[in-house]
Amino acid sequence: MKLTKKSNTSSGQQQGLGLSRRAFLKNTGVTTGGLAAAGFMGQTMIRKAEAQTAVSPNAPKEVKRTICSHCSVGCGVYAEVQNGVWTHQEPAFDHPFNRGAHCAKGAALREHGHGERRLKYPMKLVNGKWQKVSWDQAINEVGDKIQQIRSESGPDSVYWLGSAKHNNEQAYLFRKFAALWGTNNVDHQARICHSTTVAGVANTWGYGAMTNSFNDMQNCKSIILIGSNPAEAHPVSMQHILLAKERNKAKIIVVDPRFTRTAAKANEYVRIRPGTDVAYVWGLLWHIFQNGWEDQEFIRQRVYGMEEVREEVARWTPAEVENVTGVGEAQMYKVAKMLAESRPGSIVWCMGGTQHTTGNNNTRAYCILMLALGNMGKSGGGTNIFRGHDNVQGATDLGVLSHTLPGYYGLADGSWKHWCRVWGLDFEWVQNRFDQNQYNGKKPINNNGIPVSRWVDGVLENKANIEQKDNIRAMVYWGHAVNSQTRGVEMKKAMEKLDLMVIVDPYPTHAAVMHDRKDGVYLLPACTQFETYGSVTASNRSMQWRDQVIEPLFESKTDHEIMYLMSKKLGFSEQLFKNIKVNGSIPLIEDITREFNRGMWTIGYTGHSPERLKEHQQNWHTFSFQTLQAEGGSAHGEYYGLPWPCWGTPEMKHPGTPILYDTSKPVAEGGLNFRTRFGVERNGVSLLSEDSYPVNAEIKGGHPEFTDKLIKQLGWWGDLTPEEQAAAEGKNWKTDLSGGIQRVAIKHGCAPFGNAKARAVVWTFPDQVPKHREPLYTNRRDLLKDYATWKDAASIYRLPTMYESIQKNDVSQEYPIILTSGRLVEYEGGGEETRSNPWLAELQQEMFAEINPFDANNLNVRDGADIWVEGAEGGRIKVKAMVTHRVGRGVVFIPFHFGGKFQGKDLTSKYPQGSAPYVVGEAANTATTYGYDPVTLMQETKVTLCKVTPA
Amino acid sequence: MMKLMQRSGLRSAWTLLTLLSLCVIWAWLTPAYANDSANQKVQGNFAGADYWREVSDGTEGYTTSKSAEHGQLINIDGERWRQWRNEWISPAGLIAIGGSLGLLTLVYLLLGKMKLDKPRTGRVIERWKRFDRAMHWYVAISFLILAFSGLLILYGKHFVPDLLGYTVWKNLIALSKLLHNYIGPLFAIGLLVMIVRWIGNNFFNLTDLKWFLQGGGLIGGKHPSAGFLNGGEKGWFWALTLLGLVVVGSGLVLDFPIFGQTRDDMQWANLIHAGTSLLLFAISLGHIYIGTIGSEGALEGMKTGYVDETWAKQHHDLWYNEVKDQAIDAKELK
Amino acid sequence: MAKMKFLCDSERCIECNGCVTACKNANETEWGIQRRRVVTIEDGKPNETSISVACMHCTDAPCMAVCPTDCFYQTEDGIVLHDKDLCIGCGYCLFACPFGAPQFPKQGAFGERGKMDKCTFCAGGPEPDPIKQKEKYGANRIAEGKLPLCAEMCSTKALLAGDAQKVSDIFRERVVYRGHKNGAWAATTPLQMSPEEMALKAQALASDASNIIAKA
Repeated sequence: MKLTKKSNTSSGQQQGLGLSRRAFLKNTGVTTGGLAAAGFMGQTMIRKAEAQTAVSPNAPKEVKRTICSHCSVGCGVYAEVQNGVWTHQEPAFDHPFNRGAHCAKGAALREHGHGERRLKYPMKLVNGKWQKVSWDQAINEVGDKIQQIRSESGPDSVYWLGSAKHNNEQAYLFRKFAALWGTNNVDHQARICHSTTVAGVANTWGYGAMTNSFNDMQNCKSIILIGSNPAEAHPVSMQHILLAKERNKAKIIVVDPRFTRTAAKANEYVRIRPGTDVAYVWGLLWHIFQNGWEDQEFIRQRVYGMEEVREEVARWTPAEVENVTGVGEAQMYKVAKMLAESRPGSIVWCMGGTQHTTGNNNTRAYCILMLALGNMGKSGGGTNIFRGHDNVQGATDLGVLSHTLPGYYGLADGSWKHWCRVWGLDFEWVQNRFDQNQYNGKKPINNNGIPVSRWVDGVLENKANIEQKDNIRAMVYWGHAVNSQTRGVEMKKAMEKLDLMVIVDPYPTHAAVMHDRKDGVYLLPACTQFETYGSVTASNRSMQWRDQVIEPLFESKTDHEIMYLMSKKLGFSEQLFKNIKVNGSIPLIEDITREFNRGMWTIGYTGHSPERLKEHQQNWHTFSFQTLQAEGGSAHGEYYGLPWPCWGTPEMKHPGTPILYDTSKPVAEGGLNFRTRFGVERNGVSLLSEDSYPVNAEIKGGHPEFTDKLIKQLGWWGDLTPEEQAAAEGKNWKTDLSGGIQRVAIKHGCAPFGNAKARAVVWTFPDQVPKHREPLYTNRRDLLKDYATWKDAASIYRLPTMYESIQKNDVSQEYPIILTSGRLVEYEGGGEETRSNPWLAELQQEMFAEINPFDANNLNVRDGADIWVEGAEGGRIKVKAMVTHRVGRGVVFIPFHFGGKFQGKDLTSKYPQGSAPYVVGEAANTATTYGYDPVTLMQETKVTLCKVTPA
Repeated sequence: MMKLMQRSGLRSAWTLLTLLSLCVIWAWLTPAYANDSANQKVQGNFAGADYWREVSDGTEGYTTSKSAEHGQLINIDGERWRQWRNEWISPAGLIAIGGSLGLLTLVYLLLGKMKLDKPRTGRVIERWKRFDRAMHWYVAISFLILAFSGLLILYGKHFVPDLLGYTVWKNLIALSKLLHNYIGPLFAIGLLVMIVRWIGNNFFNLTDLKWFLQGGGLIGGKHPSAGFLNGGEKGWFWALTLLGLVVVGSGLVLDFPIFGQTRDDMQWANLIHAGTSLLLFAISLGHIYIGTIGSEGALEGMKTGYVDETWAKQHHDLWYNEVKDQAIDAKELK
Repeated sequence: MAKMKFLCDSERCIECNGCVTACKNANETEWGIQRRRVVTIEDGKPNETSISVACMHCTDAPCMAVCPTDCFYQTEDGIVLHDKDLCIGCGYCLFACPFGAPQFPKQGAFGERGKMDKCTFCAGGPEPDPIKQKEKYGANRIAEGKLPLCAEMCSTKALLAGDAQKVSDIFRERVVYRGHKNGAWAATTPLQMSPEEMALKAQALASDASNIIAKA
């Protein structure tokens, strides 16, 4: 909209749109009787409410630039604040991602400034009743309890469950916090979001992230979305997708078991049977290979192992594909032809592809499809993996994961030493923080921790079977929605077995109410991202800076302050904040940014100094809506948010990498090639690229990653300054803290991480070439002969993991219907925050299950009637039936954002007074079942079996 | 309510009835309003013409809004309702009421007040019990409140704001709506009680047929015989009963929108309510005329409950013959 | 004088409900009052389309014609506003409105509906005191030179708002890019045509849009 708008950014005086005292109080829900309110709110809030009443319409208006916290598109927002009250939200027409646009959640962002249903002060559960406690008391009691658990069971019995809702600084600090506590039992929702993407994609060509950007999708000639529903999950991305469709005549293909809002905008909709992604992709490749539509030159230069893929694909004849996926030959051919004729094209996938037992196979198959078509490293091409939460990319990059340190450095001693150098800590000291015993021959410091998807098993499993000293005894849920995790019924048991539950969140969350505990639960009120500031990484790898909009509401504290208080109580605050200034009890955000800048060489989080990020934030208007590149202005030539890798030091002024592996630009200007990550040869065959290199590269072809030795070999050592030489000696591009190796490699036009082929075969994974395997709970028993799952594993991420032993039990007679789950546009994640936002909650007031009219009529279920959906492991949810053609026959879809009800029981009364969300409903995952990807332990939420009965 | 109908009153009532019936029938027979052109006037830039054509048949869809009928994209009947109300019922009501008033004025000017043929005897006969009178006035007053508030709701905006200004209009129209909605159900109760109590007296008989054949006295120039109630009075009773019930029924549909009535239901209820009540009001003017300035002695009966022998003999001879023994001296009433 | 109109491009609308909550954000209407809604027809079927609806600020506004109190008025910009002090909550505007725009805070016995509420095109209402105006009618963005927040925040720029002529120009441009359903036009991309040819086709094929606007 660029119609007659006159102003949106100026902070000049505005006429009369402030909030009166009454309006403000109304908005914060404090009006109901002064006395009652006083008792309820506590002194702090009363003081704040008084202070904020002074807002007059003509009060000076401050305009803050912030970023929506509801998904990873990263939409810019102008928040207008008067006397500390967030009075207006204006569209950021000059923001390069969204041009002012928002979905329901983004457009309701200002409600965060009201926060009526927030958790208002620390509370603890005493004899089944919530009791208000002071911060001091809460931190002391929690600290004492976890110290006690540590002394009895070791540090691994305390689980630190972090969040994608943290900003980068908090996420990084959280991972470091867990490390200094002495455990790898730290993880966050990325595990159950895109972990299979990160694993599958990084193992194909180097980095596990979205390769291009939302904006670049405007250049696509075709877009195939498989297991992705951006119209509801990433609505603003549809602006770019629809522009491609309109301006570029791009063909939009949606492959999904459900006819989604995105499907409604597609040129071609393909309904597949849930869990058959690999078969579907191989079916497309069958036609592509059959007709010679693959990009042979691209494959020759840049892909390893395509022949092995060909062999597997040859099995997937049209008849077999139809048998497995349900898609007929004609449509398979049509889509394959569309993709072949409309290049460059992009593939988009989300949870529909990742949240499977076969997730890593799916993600690799998608990559292989794009490799075969030669769509990689091109504008308009790429694997555009839309991440979920606003900072799930950043939190992943910063290693809030049980199997890696920040920057995907892994857990080997070398990685620890690298980070200890960055932290200025003694490696031995850090090592001694961990349990020194070995389990199964593995030391806890080097062994993957239990992932978030399995903490329930970490609590309930026989401890003899777990690769750590004891079960998990304390859970710290720091910005996590437990209802987004499968196996709700067992989770309830696990919660009741724990010694301690600590929930650090702006809202009480489903975790506060779903169990029947009487004590040992603490709720600590955390701030939202609008009550603090810092950086956030969007799905396209751009890092954006957020202003603080308002002061912390009620008695809430920022996550980094709580981390400080906790670390102080636990006795390692000095080490944790060695390089970070702490004002009072509040660590300085910029110092945290600078600290991770000094260590994140692997993925180029090093060029993003707070100063550069703030400069980009102040210059939204200078970046192109098409290319993200700034034209003129102080960031001239740079890409918005310095999409990582932004190589070298900030002083090097790398512009960021808008498109990964794009050889048409010099590395210094954002060009790249595939990464040398898997060695230089396999079975005598070179893995390095052939005749493919970024423009201006001095090495005209493949090369290994840069080390001091390689630099010396190439005769470039002299290009390093003496200081750099001192720092780089014996180091490589990942561990040289001076950045000299990266600088010199790039100076010579080369990517610091080497130049290799992408690999279509991942020899370190259970299925080297992705294979179709039936879901653990399948009603196609006839397919098990050819497509059975894996054997049970004795230990993955410390835990025994079942496959075959589940699949071999046939429950399909009792549970004949496929159960799948997904998102609604109005809510995010577990939904606690969004269901507490009345502007959103009003739109979706009831948990429901979509069921095809055919099944509904057979089951005698009417639209709007109450039904029981019972998962194959017996978890039951009572929901409203929505009889609709959105789902095909034999498939039931449930949205997963609801909570506050459990197996038919309303839990509203169990929330602390005044903090129950406006809308409660059955958590979808009460009905979901066992099933984990063997590489990452991603949970299976997209295919299980269920039965439906009228309630 | 039950008052005598003098010749003139009778004539005017019949004329009006005919006129109104014609209007209404004519209106109802008119082919359905051409939706398309009306829609084009209002649709604005809805979503392009193609889209408009697709949804303007009242297509329903999914929406997250919980408001009634928000799933329906285009309210196809709204425009029809507007046309019926504004183009037909509103002017027809004016014609009916105006015609009725005009005729009554004409009658008054031509014939003047109908006097008693003979002097009063000074002896009176009880005609209406206290309960009957209380009931009559209860219904009459609520009827008038409803009539005038209803008329203000339909026509007020065309003249009151200009005449009396914004503030008066604001309060007047708010009061009208309030009275109309709260008095309406009270009127309904009164009407029902009245119908039950008086229906026994109101079945037509041979005498009424003769009364009608003589046009209530217009034909033959001589007073036709009548019992306690004459044919005209019974006619008014039935008009009130039948139209009144329709008015009450449709009114209640509008007044209590809490039983899941659709917008469509309420449009119909509104049309029926407006049409019938205007007709009823126009007819009632005749009744009021005869009961007040049109005929000497008529109002007395409903005021005091007693009528003079002369009046009784003149208007209800058969009844008089039955009850003349019960006549008492008017002075005894004091 | 500009004639303000909304236009929702159903080819772009994805039912994200951004417009609905943007409206809530700007106007803070109470729970249960949605001045704007999105309706999806043929939900879940191949020809599914969604469209955002609110008061369309009709040129010949039926609400205005049937209102017993005459509480509606049209601004110079063609925006249909109403005076809540005058509104008696009779519901007639709802009966007449083609779009189901008027809403009432309640639906009680004796026709107690409260004061009607509807989209104001973010132009506030007849209330001089700005604080009261905001409470009663919501935002007055027009006075600040801004457009309705729903359209400004639309996720895919499906919902357009502004001067009828400009809105129609934008829509027409899109029609051109997309090609026309009924013409041979769809087979040719705009880039393969001469500018003159394109302009000619555009004019002819976008006549749909402009006709409506001319009539409105």
